Amino acid sequence: MKDISSAIQLIPLENYVFLSVALFSIGMMGVLFRRNTIAILMCLELMFNSVNLLLTAFSAYHSDPAGQVFVFFIMIVAAAEVAVGLSIIVMMKRNVDSVDINLLNRLKW
Amino acid sequence: MSALILLTVFGIIVLYLGFANNKTILAPVAITGLLITIFLSIKDWNLGSKYFHDMMIIDNFSIAFNVSMVIITILIFLFGVNYYKRMEHYVAEQYALMIFALTGAFLMTSFSNLIMLFLGIEILSIPLYILAGGKKTSFRSNEASFKYFLLGSFATAFFLFGIALVYGASATFYLPEIKTYIAQFNGQLPPMLMVGLLFILIGVSFKVAVAPFHFWSPDVYEGSPTLVTAFMATVVKTAGFAAFYRLLGMGLLPLPAPLEKTLWVMTMLSLLVGNLAALRQTNFKRLLAYSAIVNTGFMMLAMLSQHDSSASVLLYYTFVYSLATVPLFIIFIYMKRASSGLEELTIFRGLYKQKPWMAVFMTIFLMSLAGLPPTAGFLAKYRVFVLSISRGYLAISIFAIVMAIIGVYYYFYVLREAFSESDNPNPIEISRLNSALIVVCGVAVLLLGLFVWSVPI
Repeated sequence: MKDISSAIQLIPLENYVFLSVALFSIGMMGVLFRRNTIAILMCLELMFNSVNLLLTAFSAYHSDPAGQVFVFFIMIVAAAEVAVGLSIIVMMKRNVDSVDINLLNRLKW
Repeated sequence: MSALILLTVFGIIVLYLGFANNKTILAPVAITGLLITIFLSIKDWNLGSKYFHDMMIIDNFSIAFNVSMVIITILIFLFGVNYYKRMEHYVAEQYALMIFALTGAFLMTSFSNLIMLFLGIEILSIPLYILAGGKKTSFRSNEASFKYFLLGSFATAFFLFGIALVYGASATFYLPEIKTYIAQFNGQLPPMLMVGLLFILIGVSFKVAVAPFHFWSPDVYEGSPTLVTAFMATVVKTAGFAAFYRLLGMGLLPLPAPLEKTLWVMTMLSLLVGNLAALRQTNFKRLLAYSAIVNTGFMMLAMLSQHDSSASVLLYYTFVYSLATVPLFIIFIYMKRASSGLEELTIFRGLYKQKPWMAVFMTIFLMSLAGLPPTAGFLAKYRVFVLSISRGYLAISIFAIVMAIIGVYYYFYVLREAFSESDNPNPIEISRLNSALIVVCGVAVLLLGLFVWSVPI
């Protein structure tokens, strides 16, 4: 644990923050602009994982284990969420034989 | 805590009762569990017990909100007896998932740590994603479910990113410590903390559907099975606001000026956008969704007028709102069945001629939502306005009052259909249990409007 923390601290904190922000933005763009629901799901995962990276880096820099514990919670919840999301996609696929998000337009404001 | 554990156990029991292939025992078992939960919750009154290294604090605030949510869930389950009668499979799962969602709602009212808030929101949301897709062969239900899932997870990601940034600045997830950390800056926050707080607020606003983060709610409300919509509009909204209030009160207040202004703008936007969009709705479920957004604006007003009595006013408002909304959805279910699946406002045409008592109670519920005396809705809105004016937010209170008056128009549009002269050719068949429940809700809405009660929380 001590070694890992010091290894993480070899790289300045800013770099971790920039990397996470970049990953988060890539994920966000993917969710907004991709049309395939599976790809959207992967982009959501990318957003969650950028948060995990950020939490781990902060946790090592603050020498506080709470951040790393939170990462485990996020991983578990993300797994549960993806399980539900994939089953919803399977349900959609069975009904309309496609996973394209442009089909989701029957409910309109 | 015993209430929370018992609720989880009962959820699992109901889930396994699904193997018994006997639908009639599900609702009684689930309701028994909820009644015991109320009893166990009230037993903890005034104890202020803390669990898991202060990650959860069950105080009077959480108990009051928990009990109000359990009461509304019991109401929904009682209506569910009839609603799920024609459903052949997976009835046990419906009850069990609602109970699991309620467990998440319990966490959302009693957290004192951002980890617990996150877990509560997710435990509430994940069963709801499944419930929204309850009609597996209906593509509209699929669409509602996927939209809810997608936007819900998207909001969660923002929320988490905000938590990570706040953690990076303050090195803690514990709300009282975050409060002291924020206080030391005297309103001049470092950018990272500011962005973190903004993202957290965006995430929570998404969950309670405040404009401009409300776009998912009409679609999801329309596509989901109606009983699930009733659950979302009432219990989930209550839980969201309890969490929002607790988050602000325990950790983030006093907010830095730009963020507080943002929240006020969001309040005004929900009042305005909700009303304007509701005016041109023809679908009853969407109408109620926009009415929920408008009511969110009033709840925000009560929440942002920080005062000792804010929590009590908020509890009163959410409870009264839920008590009127659930039976309205039930009446809608009957009208929908009578008109073979239509959801337009016109299906209410001729209701008074066929079932006069039902039309009268519908009037009471709609008047309560619109905030007209002598119903409880009037008293709820009145208390919100008294609170906000006494705190000096005069301009926005006047704006909210004007919006409340505009709201009367579209509620009475529905009533005009119900009391119109034309005959409704389709017979409405309503079970005795549900008629009794609608009467009880109507009488409760009237009685709650007669005297002021406030819970010391």
